[in-house]
Amino acid sequence: MKQERFVALHAQEWDGLQAWLGELDRQPKRGMRREQALEFPAAYRRVCHHLALARGRGYSHEVTERLQQLVQRGHRVLYRPPPPRWHRAAAFLVADFPRLVRAQWRCMALAAALFYVPALALLAWLQVHPEFAHTLFSSARLAEFERMYDPANPHLGRSSGTNLQMFGFYVFNNVSIAFRTFASGLLFGVGAIYVLAANGIIVGGVAGHLTAIGYGGPFWRFVVTHSAFELSALVIAGGAGLQLGLTLLAPGRRRRGPALVEAGWIGAKLALGAFAMLVVAACIEAYWSSQAWLPDPLRFSVAALAWLLVLGWLGFGGRAGRHGA
Amino acid sequence: MLDSVREIETPEGISLRLRAAGPLPRAQAWMIDTIIRLVLLMLAMIPLAFLGTGGRGLAMLAMFALLWAYWVVCELWLDGQSLGKRALGLRVVNADGTPVTWLPSVTRNLLRVVDALPGVYGVGLASTLVDPGARRLGDIVAGTMVVHAKESSFGHQVPASPAQMLPVPLAPEEQAALVDFAERADQLTVQRQEELANLLEPLTGCRDTAAVARLLGYANGLLGRP
Repeated sequence: MKQERFVALHAQEWDGLQAWLGELDRQPKRGMRREQALEFPAAYRRVCHHLALARGRGYSHEVTERLQQLVQRGHRVLYRPPPPRWHRAAAFLVADFPRLVRAQWRCMALAAALFYVPALALLAWLQVHPEFAHTLFSSARLAEFERMYDPANPHLGRSSGTNLQMFGFYVFNNVSIAFRTFASGLLFGVGAIYVLAANGIIVGGVAGHLTAIGYGGPFWRFVVTHSAFELSALVIAGGAGLQLGLTLLAPGRRRRGPALVEAGWIGAKLALGAFAMLVVAACIEAYWSSQAWLPDPLRFSVAALAWLLVLGWLGFGGRAGRHGA
Repeated sequence: MLDSVREIETPEGISLRLRAAGPLPRAQAWMIDTIIRLVLLMLAMIPLAFLGTGGRGLAMLAMFALLWAYWVVCELWLDGQSLGKRALGLRVVNADGTPVTWLPSVTRNLLRVVDALPGVYGVGLASTLVDPGARRLGDIVAGTMVVHAKESSFGHQVPASPAQMLPVPLAPEEQAALVDFAERADQLTVQRQEELANLLEPLTGCRDTAAVARLLGYANGLLGRP
């Protein structure tokens, strides 16, 4: 068949499809209500067939290019992702995220060790050698820590600022740190290792110093509740980064490219879960932990509940029941 | 390596041609996005300034949203285009050419941190220059690609003239070249048309204006016009 005849036969169909796709770009809802929306998959496949014919018969650039563009627009519409469903987000947080954390337990254990070992070691060391704190921090920073946790301070854990201000600050600061920890894991895991160990040293150093100088009371009462969410989220983000870096170094029996893509998606899911945990932590830290008037029994029982909740959720969330899933 | 077009086979058995976008248009799109985000932040700051210290907390939340969530929200709602990419005619797509989905979008925008590392996008620049698909590290790990979305113009018609039979049979590629010449003739100057037509003197047997007219006649014949 000559090109001219081919175009004359099908041009009307191509124009119709093109007009509908244009309308869909401008007014998606109205376009989807049209009769053509039902016809679209079949019309798209016919145009694909026309393109294959046009290429095979060596029709001119104009015709193949026109069909090519029509097919690409159609491809984008036909294979568009389904709209997000919010109950999927809930299911992810309740079940999929804890499962994912357990599936990556090696990296998570490594991340936890990288964070908690320096933290606990420093905490113990500073009780014996309190002067070591001056090696870790400048005296200005030490003074700032001491001001925040001064037993005479009416607010716990901050020198000034309202609840809302501190909430915004905690979200911005902590979530940015967690996301950077994950992303820097791509540098062969070095970034994640550095952030985890550095944060372990800082947290352990502050805790050890304040305990050693007798400000331990306000400090522990402030951090005990929200640390359940905050420190776990940091460890999870670090573990996600380590997982990414280790996949880059040793992809196992897979090609590096596909292995990295899979690890990247797992890491992004873990980072999103850590984000949710950090928002909860910021709420607790800004609106609960800082209330100095709370009686100690209430405060510590809520803290115990928070730790049990986090560990139980991460350890058992999404497990099949006794009778199977 | 020089050609930035990637062919991707679809389930229909035809190939999509994705034109990978290089570092320069992407840097321009990033600049536009950065300016837009700064303006948005300033606009948000004006009412928040009246709210006192609490407003400072909300400003931090706005900064967080513009720093991290802006990209993902734009890419998911605007069909793979942040505002800067839309201005430059770029689009983020999955590796198989389908519109970008939320998980790859989150991945590539979290890993932006690594691409941005030394100075301004040092790692990203090196990666886009080395990778044949011009992907930055975040794109490689997320399995995405940034492509040119602007469609090249078409609609040039072969000028109608009485069809003429070819004196000798031509191979299919030669026929296609003849029709392409006729389609593009109106974009060329008359001198250039004649210069090209003169190359085919052995076929047409004449020169200059007559040669151009004869080639257009052959093209009309090849298209099946009377």
